[in-house]
Amino acid sequence: MAAILAMSLFVSVSQISSAEHEPPISGIVVGVETDDNGNLTRFAVSDSTGVVTTFTVFDGTEFGLENQAGDRWVSTQGEEPTESVRRLRDHRERFAPITVTFENGTAFSVVEREEGKLESNLGYLFAVFAVTWALFFAYVLYMGRKQRVLQHEIAKLKRSLDK
Amino acid sequence: MGVALYLIFVWVPTETNQGAVQRILYFHVPVAWGSMLGIFVVSGSSFMYLWKKNEKWDRLAVASAEVGVIFGGMMLLSGMIWARPVWAVWWTGEAKLTTALILFFIYVAYLMFRAYFPPGAQRQRLAAIIGVIGAVDTPIIYFAANLWSQAHPPIVTGPAADAESTLGSDLGTVLMASTLAFTFLFIFLVQIRYKIRKSEDDLVELKRASSASVLTGAN
Repeated sequence: MAAILAMSLFVSVSQISSAEHEPPISGIVVGVETDDNGNLTRFAVSDSTGVVTTFTVFDGTEFGLENQAGDRWVSTQGEEPTESVRRLRDHRERFAPITVTFENGTAFSVVEREEGKLESNLGYLFAVFAVTWALFFAYVLYMGRKQRVLQHEIAKLKRSLDK
Repeated sequence: MGVALYLIFVWVPTETNQGAVQRILYFHVPVAWGSMLGIFVVSGSSFMYLWKKNEKWDRLAVASAEVGVIFGGMMLLSGMIWARPVWAVWWTGEAKLTTALILFFIYVAYLMFRAYFPPGAQRQRLAAIIGVIGAVDTPIIYFAANLWSQAHPPIVTGPAADAESTLGSDLGTVLMASTLAFTFLFIFLVQIRYKIRKSEDDLVELKRASSASVLTGAN
């Protein structure tokens, strides 16, 4: 009995400690879901790698979101359940990034994206340079070939005219 | 261009918000500038052709339109790839993006018109009119982010950039260097394309001369 209790206690503690270390997610709001009264129930965020994470909210979910003019709105889901919907939709339309701290899929705080978090998007950077430079070189090669063909034809015609 | 690439990938510090992907800016803005410069040259040389009726202006317009469509395509491609990690979408019906896409279509329409309309003075005249009208889109693209205030960041360079949105000194220096490098690349490509166009015209003239000599010989 004591062993079972100790084991369950260990599992609970390890779950809590892993939940505490769940890193916040930053990204763009891609979905906002409401109930029949227009209160926020869930929202989805896509991070810079394209992974979409869905979060549920509860009355204690804290918001700190700015509008386009930079005015900050600070409140909780319980206090203003419809304003959070409006703010998140505004962020979705403006592609304004947010940072969500959460535990087990439930959002605890939703704020403007925290600065200083470097993201590894090297794949996109590489894609831009690879695709566009390939296009440039293809165009230069196309022009070089075209010029050679034209010069050859001009020389041929000039020779035939000289005769 | 080598110096610009060194500055982009080695010298300039990584931006704190977006990370490495922000370096796309040093490519995206210069090619966007190139595509707008292209339509200005198309418009200016088309106007000069309508005025002076000199073939060299028509050649310059064609060369600039073809290089401009390449730069325009790169602007759209780089913008789309950049939008994916920072906006989570490839494309959106945002004002600046839509007007930039219209510019690309203007270039395509201009080149398609030239490709499919029968050769001659009428084709050159009508193409020149399209070229002149096409430039109307350029100031709309430039001011779109400030006029409609949507997702695209506001203007960071040029006369309409305000102090708040202007890039920092290091970032601004790299952007200027990169823009300069791409401007030279634009001029270089237009120059090559102009020579090809001149060779095409020479070939047509030679073919005419050849046909005339054959006809003379037959008579």
